[in-house]
Amino acid sequence: MSEKRRGKLEIIADILRSIQSKNGRIKPTHLLYKSNLSHAKLKEYIDVLMKKGMIEEKQEKGKKMFLMKELGYKFLLEFERIKEFSDSFGL
Amino acid sequence: MLFDNVPYGLPSYIFSPKWFYGFDSIIESVAVIVSILLVYYSYKCFKLTHENRYLYFSTAFLSLTFAFLAKIIGTLAIYKPKITRSAVGSSIHETFNTLTPSYINAVAFVVFIFFMLLGFMILFLIISRLTWKNQRILALLVYFVFLATWISTIHYQLFYVTTFVLLSLITYSYYRNYQEIKSVNARFVLFAFSIILISQAFFIFIIYSRTVYVLAELIQLLGFIYLLIPFVLIFKKKPKKHKLVK
Repeated sequence: MSEKRRGKLEIIADILRSIQSKNGRIKPTHLLYKSNLSHAKLKEYIDVLMKKGMIEEKQEKGKKMFLMKELGYKFLLEFERIKEFSDSFGL
Repeated sequence: MLFDNVPYGLPSYIFSPKWFYGFDSIIESVAVIVSILLVYYSYKCFKLTHENRYLYFSTAFLSLTFAFLAKIIGTLAIYKPKITRSAVGSSIHETFNTLTPSYINAVAFVVFIFFMLLGFMILFLIISRLTWKNQRILALLVYFVFLATWISTIHYQLFYVTTFVLLSLITYSYYRNYQEIKSVNARFVLFAFSIILISQAFFIFIIYSRTVYVLAELIQLLGFIYLLIPFVLIFKKKPKKHKLVK
């Protein structure tokens, strides 16, 4: 049986979790691989996350990296809480 | 105890022993607080996610909040007739001099029954994952709530039997949910609804003994405290330690 499609918030949480799992900084290629999204879709989400101030883009030793910001961590915590609430109360 | 001279043939009930007067209202207040917290947080989830299931859950507990508030008002009207002698109380009393404590109690009892049944019905619909698109079934269930409210005002025991049946179905769904999720919080929610279910079983027999009413109220209190635990645990969840990368 196919798995349930991820919602927008779940995709955002998965992207942020991927960055978090790499100690808050990740290469774009790694993120593409971990997020399980097409290049175009990932770019859309990255743009949204940067606009919302959850992540930022930086050049480190000439390489592009995505860095998690405080707001990104706060979003993840709130998302986990909602998920826990939803699971516990069978929603 | 059944009070007479209530309009439209509505019954007015007080089941508490005298020494317990007011304590049941405190217990109901705990249920109101827990329900309001669940209303607030599930509505917040709805605003953040725009997912209707949170809105329906919020509506279910809002309905239960109204039910418990109605019961508090109804019982306090009987317990505390002195309220009408206070400055504010007497002015209200003069404005609505037809509102006798028995009248308030009777109307509050109907409001309590209606919102309690409606709240548990909505909760049952969400937990059972029935689709809201089937409007004919929903219309039938709403009709059932009105019908049960009407008959329950005549045979109040039917009300507690109905809430017992609804809660049995809800508790079974939470058992299935716990089997699937296997989390501590899901277990607390299952315990909470199981305890509230037991309290409803006691409520069915309150006419036979006032002690049963006290027991039912205490069990219900325990149920709502259990319902509060997962909520508190979710909020106690601390963020994972992280260092912001500069």
